[in-house]
Amino acid sequence: MIVIDAASPVPPFEQLRAQLARQIQDRTLAVGARLPTIRHLAADLGLAVNTVGRAYRELEEAGLIETRGRAGSFVSAAGEEGRERARRAAADYAAVIASVGIDAGEAIRIVQAALTSGAAAPASS
Amino acid sequence: MTREPLPDAGPPARAADLRLAGAWLARHDLAGARPTPLLASRLAVRRRARLAAHVILAALILVSALAATSAFGGLQPHRPLPLLALTASVAGLLLAQSLLDRWVRRVDQRAGATLSRRAAHPIQPGWRTVLGQPYAVFAVATFAGGMVLAGSALAVPEPTVRQLAVVVLIGLLGATAITAMQLRHLLRFPVVAEDEESLTADVIMRVEDARELTTPNVQWSLPVVLFGTAPGWWSAASVAYLILGLVACVALHARTPSCATVARRAMSLR
Repeated sequence: MIVIDAASPVPPFEQLRAQLARQIQDRTLAVGARLPTIRHLAADLGLAVNTVGRAYRELEEAGLIETRGRAGSFVSAAGEEGRERARRAAADYAAVIASVGIDAGEAIRIVQAALTSGAAAPASS
Repeated sequence: MTREPLPDAGPPARAADLRLAGAWLARHDLAGARPTPLLASRLAVRRRARLAAHVILAALILVSALAATSAFGGLQPHRPLPLLALTASVAGLLLAQSLLDRWVRRVDQRAGATLSRRAAHPIQPGWRTVLGQPYAVFAVATFAGGMVLAGSALAVPEPTVRQLAVVVLIGLLGATAITAMQLRHLLRFPVVAEDEESLTADVIMRVEDARELTTPNVQWSLPVVLFGTAPGWWSAASVAYLILGLVACVALHARTPSCATVARRAMSLR
């Protein structure tokens, strides 16, 4: 279910984007599931077409959904691939941590620092 | 719907409407939910729309019967006027149904505009959820059976029987077009909900309406105009069609899950 609260300080497009992204990430929405058309979802939620369009565009840019022309928007497999890459990277990182003898708490702090400082941005390699 | 009725949650609902909404919720195993003014007003509009839709179908049967009487009683069996009048009436009834659907949509839209929170499905319930395969098969089979029955009467050499068969065919096509239009409306009109319970109620309304649409009132009534003039084999086939349809309809209602169960399943998948 998607709920849009007009009284929330979070803009409606962000509420929609975040809820759809969460449902795709936690697999409530399966890969290949067809999302409602922008116009239909806008009518259902009482939002402007542009608002829903912006949320869909951002989800598409994040690789979570893909638009197949007139067929509509579908939950993309790319999101699943990204998760798998993250899992592989985490396994590699855990192996490095074990080999240099850093304890788990410090290893997590290093990751947190990297995430907050933006150092986790894709490397040039 | 478990919250207190909000003052801004739609047009002021009458106490009778709220009471009926409470009874509707209880009938669908949602007795724990409190009827909101939104639900009460939506159900009231839906009741009026259903009554008007029944009047439209009754008008179709009446107009077909009038056309049949005119064709049967006329001096010239091939007069096109009753058939043209029937076709024009069917077109008019289609237009009336379309205006009725538009009215329901507008009232729902107005009710939805007053809500501060809106809820929707991330995946739209399609015809398989709303109507369901067994009901769809039943509707198609009833339509096909009615058309075959009326079509077979065209093979009878008697001109009056043939003209009456054309009346039945036009009536059946008109009724099917009206049903298809209503079904399309049910599948496409926007959701009006503010939380999980009202979203469930919305799905129940659609499932209930879709199931009611498949009851072939017109398909069962129209062939009667050929009784007495059509040959015996045709009347026997017509009675068999009616009995088979009735048995299938009763079995379908008895064996398929309730509207509330279908709605809950749909909600759990979304």
